[in-house]
Amino acid sequence: MIPTLLVTSLLIFWAMDLAGGDPVNQILPENATYEQREILREQMGFNDPFMVRYFRYIGGILSGDMGKSYISGLDVFGTFMGRLHMTLLLGGSALIFACLISVPLGIYTALHQNTWKDTLATVLALFGVSMPNFWLGLMLILLFSLKLGWLPSGGTGGIQYLVLPAVTVGLSLAALLTRTTRSAMLDVIRQDYMTTAKAKGASYRRVIYNHGLRNAMIPIVTAVGMQFSYVMTGSALAETVFGWPGIGRLVVDSINKRDTPMVTGSIILCCVLMAIINLAVDIVYAFCDPRIKAQYSGRS
Amino acid sequence: MRKAMTLLIVIILACTTVWAGATKEEGVAATTGTPKDTLVIGVAQEINEQNPMMQNDQINNNCFVLTHERLIFVDSNNGYLLSPELAESWEWKDDTHLVFHLFKTIKFNNGTPLTAADVAFTLNRARSNDPTKSKISGTLKLITDVSALDDYTVQITTSAFSNELIYNLGAYPLVIQSKAAYEDPANKAPWLVGTGPYRFKEWKEGQYVTYEKRDDYWNAAKEPSIASSITFRFLLEASQRVIALQNGEIDVCIDPPTTDLKFLKEDANITVHTQAGTRLFYLSFNVEKAPFDNQKLRQAVSCAIDKQTIVDIVLDGRGKWQTSVLNRGAWSFLDNDQVEGGYAYDVARAKALLAEAGYQPGQLTVELFSATDDPYKTIAPIVQANLKEIGINVVIKSMDQATLKTECANGHQQLFLWRWNIGARVDETYRELFYTNFPTNYAQLKDAYVDQMADKVLTEKDPEKRLQYSHELQNYFVELVPQVPLYVPDLVIAYKKGLKGAYLTGGGAHDWSRAYIEQ
Repeated sequence: MIPTLLVTSLLIFWAMDLAGGDPVNQILPENATYEQREILREQMGFNDPFMVRYFRYIGGILSGDMGKSYISGLDVFGTFMGRLHMTLLLGGSALIFACLISVPLGIYTALHQNTWKDTLATVLALFGVSMPNFWLGLMLILLFSLKLGWLPSGGTGGIQYLVLPAVTVGLSLAALLTRTTRSAMLDVIRQDYMTTAKAKGASYRRVIYNHGLRNAMIPIVTAVGMQFSYVMTGSALAETVFGWPGIGRLVVDSINKRDTPMVTGSIILCCVLMAIINLAVDIVYAFCDPRIKAQYSGRS
Repeated sequence: MRKAMTLLIVIILACTTVWAGATKEEGVAATTGTPKDTLVIGVAQEINEQNPMMQNDQINNNCFVLTHERLIFVDSNNGYLLSPELAESWEWKDDTHLVFHLFKTIKFNNGTPLTAADVAFTLNRARSNDPTKSKISGTLKLITDVSALDDYTVQITTSAFSNELIYNLGAYPLVIQSKAAYEDPANKAPWLVGTGPYRFKEWKEGQYVTYEKRDDYWNAAKEPSIASSITFRFLLEASQRVIALQNGEIDVCIDPPTTDLKFLKEDANITVHTQAGTRLFYLSFNVEKAPFDNQKLRQAVSCAIDKQTIVDIVLDGRGKWQTSVLNRGAWSFLDNDQVEGGYAYDVARAKALLAEAGYQPGQLTVELFSATDDPYKTIAPIVQANLKEIGINVVIKSMDQATLKTECANGHQQLFLWRWNIGARVDETYRELFYTNFPTNYAQLKDAYVDQMADKVLTEKDPEKRLQYSHELQNYFVELVPQVPLYVPDLVIAYKKGLKGAYLTGGGAHDWSRAYIEQ
């Protein structure tokens, strides 16, 4: 993880530097004097060579200082962490919503392979994958907020504020997870142990859920983990449409404003987040598959 | 399995229906039941600074006007008339000494009285070249000292007389702050201490900022504030602001998209307010660099630009094209029929001027630097098409605003699109855009006549002569063409019917402190 973060930080720092533009123009008003501009350049170390600035930045991170936003002057780490829980809430809700729909639907379509039900579910899943988030979000707002008046159009507050963004993000996730669940189940139900279980007189439910789904969980968990990483860092569109103050919107706003410390810090923290999610997925593997658990137990 | 699936679907549908029904009333109450004494304003930008002198952004200034006050009030809707705010009177003692007499009953929102020492402290801090203390010292270079003569008298000493210094002191970043608050080591945010009718309550990053009414506001003579709290909700997506207004979640929608105005006007509960704006968008040249060091070529470009079409496309007609470099509504502004001569849209004339400049159609390829955001990304292709018509090929180079400013400051541009907004001070245009070696003179103009006239407009005491100088300078720019002024968009704001007391200005410096919704 540490080499990954070092390489990522260097690449981001380098990319932001390559983009050009004087950061002083971001910090000071347009009519600031030459003297003020020069004082600020010296104070912020903008006149130093690239590597000096990079290592100073890394030194800052190691001492717990990720710098301050050029635009708001707020602490980068504090701002990111202040928004992380909102993204976790949105991502977690969207994922739960997606799993509630996609896992049963995936199993159902696998068990009814090549029937009209399977085809319908496949078409719906394709529709879900193809639908842009922002469009779906706006349509849901128009229907449930403006026409029916059931839900607020955006912002944060009670659970009612979470519904539309979670459904918007969750529907596209559900489409992908349905396809993954379906193909994982199709792989599993042809296995010999499924036939053996049936032959031993196990109930239909027990065969499908205990023997089938449990063995199909590895690809599903992998897909869920990947989708969760995506939601954590890539739900900027949905967050913008619903005015949801998450980290996706923070990163996009910061890029638009060329807020270098906020962009660099946020992307590094997103990398950390993704690494943690991947680690969590690896741990969940052990719960799903006793062979993996045994493998690690054997080593210790 | 089939039964289980059916049961699951029924349960999910039932839960959704019951829950949706249950939240309907709650949702409506939470989002549309705006109490009479609160005001929620949907804005397109988030505030980014709470210390007035560390910024100069309109969105922040709209907040500072709630919590702080300036020495004087400059009425931009009434010919920039000056009236008392914290100072009850003021006079020039001589050419270099301006004295303010403060009201004696002013109290900060922490209960301490405002004295001349606070004013001197604020202005001296604002003059500091240290960017950690002030970012606005560039506008105060004329001031050499600010001192308190007694508890309620402040004297400002300048290096020379300036017609515009008084207007400068009416700028929002120069709201008066508390010296004692800054000297109190326990106070981590001394800039929040102000004398205005509201006090800061909460800033939820990415969501909103809220201010609550003060019960101990000092100025009983002023029209009282009604709303117990004023909230600015950061709704960056334009369509979301419109829906939130229609849905009753906000009371005011700043800058609704032109495409939605038709629907808003049809809504019986909403008023769409339009008034003349002041922000000027323009196409500018680097006049020091070939090929636009050629005045005839600049005139040809000016004749080739169809400004009315730009207004129609970019603003759906909600704006005015113009010829003068000054912002519409500024003191001494010359409208299109008042300027002498000029190079209005005329393709035949543009082609003739191109030939006079020494270029054949198709011979010239130039770069147009444009910011990636609106409206520049819409204007740039129109300019490209207009210039193509007279045989000038334009390559559009898009970049973010920070890079654009850096490139222009370094003189790398040939053509660029930009904007400028001024209040009462025409020097902000004459000096900051065109004075030799000024940091924001992106046109790179070095013209002794312009410098001399800008100085005269700033210092001439005879009002008639000063007006004449400003008119002469505008006409000179029309001939010199360091930029092609394009248009000034109208200010458009949509709000709930019954909004009263809002002070709206074409430049966006609104004052909501007396605004409320009458139900």
